[in-house]
Amino acid sequence: MTPRLDRGRPLDVFLSAVRALSLASGIAAAALIVAAVVVVCQMVFVRYVLGETTIWQTDFVTFGLVGATFVGAPYVLMTKGHVAVDLVPLMIAGRARFWLALVATVLSLAFTATVTVLAYDLWHEAWAGGWESESMWRVRLWIPYAAMPIGLGLLTLQYVADLVALVTGRDEPFGIDPAQGGGI
Amino acid sequence: QAETVTLRASHQFPGGKGDARDEMVQLIAREVKAADVGLDMQVYPGASLFKPHDQWNAMVRGQLDISSLPLDYASGKVRAFGATLMPGLVRNHARAERLDASPFMDSIRKKIEDAGVIVLADAWLAGAFGGKNGCIRKPEDVAGLKFRSAGKTFAAMWQKAGASIVTIPSSETYNALQTGVADATDTSTSSFVSFRLYEQLKCITAPGDNALWFMYEPVLMSKRNFDKLNEAQQKAVKAAGKKAEAYFRKASSEFDDKMVDAFKENGVEVVTLTPEEYDAWLKVAKESSYEQFADEVPDGKQLIEQALAVK
Amino acid sequence: MQGLIVLVATVAVLLTGAPVAFALGVVGIGGLIAFQGIDSLLVVAETIYSGLHDFTLVSIPMFIMMGAAIGSSPAGRDLYEALDRWLYRVPGGLVVSNLGACALFAALTGSSPATCAAIGKMGIPEMRKRGYPDEVATGSICAGGTLGILIPPSITLILYGIATETSIGRLFLAGVLPGLMLTTLFMAWTIFYVWRWAPRRREFSRRYVMRDKLAALPKVLPFMAIVGGVMYVLYGGVATPSEAAGVGAAMCVVLALVIYRMWRPADWWRILRDTTRESVMILMIIGTSVLFGYMLSSLYITQSLAQSIAALEVNRWVLMGLINVFLVVAGCFIPPAGIILMTSPILLPIIKDAGFDPVWFGVIVTLNMEIGLITPPVGLNLFVVNAIAPDVPTRTILLGALPYVACMVVGLVILCIVPEIATWLPDTLMGPGR
Ligand code: NA
Ligand code: NA
Repeated sequence: MTPRLDRGRPLDVFLSAVRALSLASGIAAAALIVAAVVVVCQMVFVRYVLGETTIWQTDFVTFGLVGATFVGAPYVLMTKGHVAVDLVPLMIAGRARFWLALVATVLSLAFTATVTVLAYDLWHEAWAGGWESESMWRVRLWIPYAAMPIGLGLLTLQYVADLVALVTGRDEPFGIDPAQGGGI
Repeated sequence: QAETVTLRASHQFPGGKGDARDEMVQLIAREVKAADVGLDMQVYPGASLFKPHDQWNAMVRGQLDISSLPLDYASGKVRAFGATLMPGLVRNHARAERLDASPFMDSIRKKIEDAGVIVLADAWLAGAFGGKNGCIRKPEDVAGLKFRSAGKTFAAMWQKAGASIVTIPSSETYNALQTGVADATDTSTSSFVSFRLYEQLKCITAPGDNALWFMYEPVLMSKRNFDKLNEAQQKAVKAAGKKAEAYFRKASSEFDDKMVDAFKENGVEVVTLTPEEYDAWLKVAKESSYEQFADEVPDGKQLIEQALAVK
Repeated sequence: MQGLIVLVATVAVLLTGAPVAFALGVVGIGGLIAFQGIDSLLVVAETIYSGLHDFTLVSIPMFIMMGAAIGSSPAGRDLYEALDRWLYRVPGGLVVSNLGACALFAALTGSSPATCAAIGKMGIPEMRKRGYPDEVATGSICAGGTLGILIPPSITLILYGIATETSIGRLFLAGVLPGLMLTTLFMAWTIFYVWRWAPRRREFSRRYVMRDKLAALPKVLPFMAIVGGVMYVLYGGVATPSEAAGVGAAMCVVLALVIYRMWRPADWWRILRDTTRESVMILMIIGTSVLFGYMLSSLYITQSLAQSIAALEVNRWVLMGLINVFLVVAGCFIPPAGIILMTSPILLPIIKDAGFDPVWFGVIVTLNMEIGLITPPVGLNLFVVNAIAPDVPTRTILLGALPYVACMVVGLVILCIVPEIATWLPDTLMGPGR
């Protein structure tokens, strides 16, 4: 699964750097999820046991988990955790599988790159316009919105790295062991 | 004649079920078609195109033509819109009509237009509030209650009166009341019916002549797309909007009656506020929601004064 | 025509093996550009973001974490040890216990992928370890997970209730008996299948006597304590369903720490890593499927389809059959929330005109959504199970889930013949429907 990397060569340094970034993003996403659990419990405690007002918790948890989704995406891609329909990739082998992997990667890359740009626009608009959430906790929206361009940007970077690893033969198409031949 | 322009209208209310806000949009759709100026309209009810809170930006960007939405949904973008969901600022349907013709609403409509959207039809919806264990008439009645509120400004008032505020998504309000996570809530009269809250509440405070709860929920149109229409089409859309507005004026209080009937049928006690009770609440609101709004919005104080000046 | 192009494009892109989340995104964006021009992309980012910005989705990562914590502690092993001792002689005993666990878990959560994840996380590895064929181990969890939206609480029924102004209290009660019926059908099929075609390969080294069976019970106490705790949080007025999920997750983590003494950072990271990977995967699909749904709705594809059904003048049961076919086909591509929000306002008037009970129809819709959850290409439960058991080919999971689709169809037919299975409980407890 892990691409074959050499130390000194520039391309390999790039690939390792991207992997490190993706791992960092995975840790950040995990931290957001933990924070969400803690805050949910705090909210239930404050409301049920202390009988006090809860204002910011719902927003924090909701925004936090959206953030975790985007920021965690590159890590999940690196560890091949985004599920796919692997019917055809398993049916074919060799060059055909390589070309299919190339198509799949380029299509996904096109999507993530496009949405990264669009997400940056949205973030910038929220920042420049001083947008706030309409809920009771007036969050300045550029803060939670930042997760989208950052996460999708790193996701795009990880896709570029995957494409490089695929084209240069450092990674097998779809990460499938080539010994696992076609025809299931 | 040029190719027919198809306008897209979106709202979050049930379609074809007599909801007055849906009816307003459908009426506009029928009128613009009948005007025979090369206009057609496709209505997407029930949030089937955009999520409720996304509709504003979609109009600003020209991706949605027409929508009926609580203007407060855009108060994160234009803070002054918070004035359109403010406790005690409207009081009753007759006064809402006078408010529409006042400098207060001129200021609001100006801000809407500056943001890239225009108003086709004004509409003020009355709301109510109810408790799981008893009636809410005076500020003392909410002390210690766990209150789920539809808006920030109302929450500030309930909190000032001694309630603790619970933030729950509207879809979970029913459940929260059932299990006791919340024991009181406020929202528009139509939502009280559509969420079937009469199954959970013991007493509800209906609008009557001294309603605390009013919300501005106009039919809006993307300015960018309006400007693209030819003159005849613009006229037709405006005229249709005026008809929708007139329809709503008549229908709005029937709306409240419908809620009262639904709650009475289900054995829920229905009360209204006396002028004295209303004034007591207004005092609480002045010390909380109004003050907060004046602090946070540059011309907030002036807006409130404009609204209160209306007879 | 646009509908057909979109359908072909969706299938083609999914078959390239691109991740489902991004495949849906590519088709969503492609469809918008092709049919509505480049400007239509202006709302894409906000559509995806707000698709995920929903507090009810919080229960998904929370219940996944619950499963990850329990799954990586010996609690799961203890539970299966106990279940196995009690049910080792029933053909497919452990699978039956898993289905039972799914039904039990469904009473704690409103979401199917969450049920699937929480039980599957423990159940699938255990079943495979004990010699059950992969298709049984994975298929049963896919199916059992769908009970999450039929047995109350249910996000699907809440959405339906709101979209159609139907009593949510009634809908919840209406889901109880059909949920139990479906559980029974699943179990019956499993027992039959295992007895007939897949007798267990593992030889039993020993027989369990009553003393062994009783000795295993104290070990499952922690698990039962959590179930009881979450029940209390949920029905005792402590928290909403989504919040109960968070409290449950915290309780499971505390259990792992205190009772099972999992102090090592490596254990922590494993729980967190699994939670993150699975949650992000599912949420990403939800986000892009909202974009996909927006594209379909924006091109009026969903609505035209529903309206063309309404335009047919046919016998009411033929109509019901057609609506079911439509819902199943839509369910293949779109997650439940999208379908319900888009179509029930259109379908409900048709249903009422034909003299069907809206509460009963809510249960029918939910059953259809359950089928959609385990049919390709967009079947959230399939993806969850795929993530839990990545070495099992998708094909095997699909084949394993297929018989349970048949069980659901049987369930649908029974519900059509005897609507009282859904309506009796709410009518009895809340008075006859208006
Ligand atoms: Na459930
Ligand atoms: Na499906």
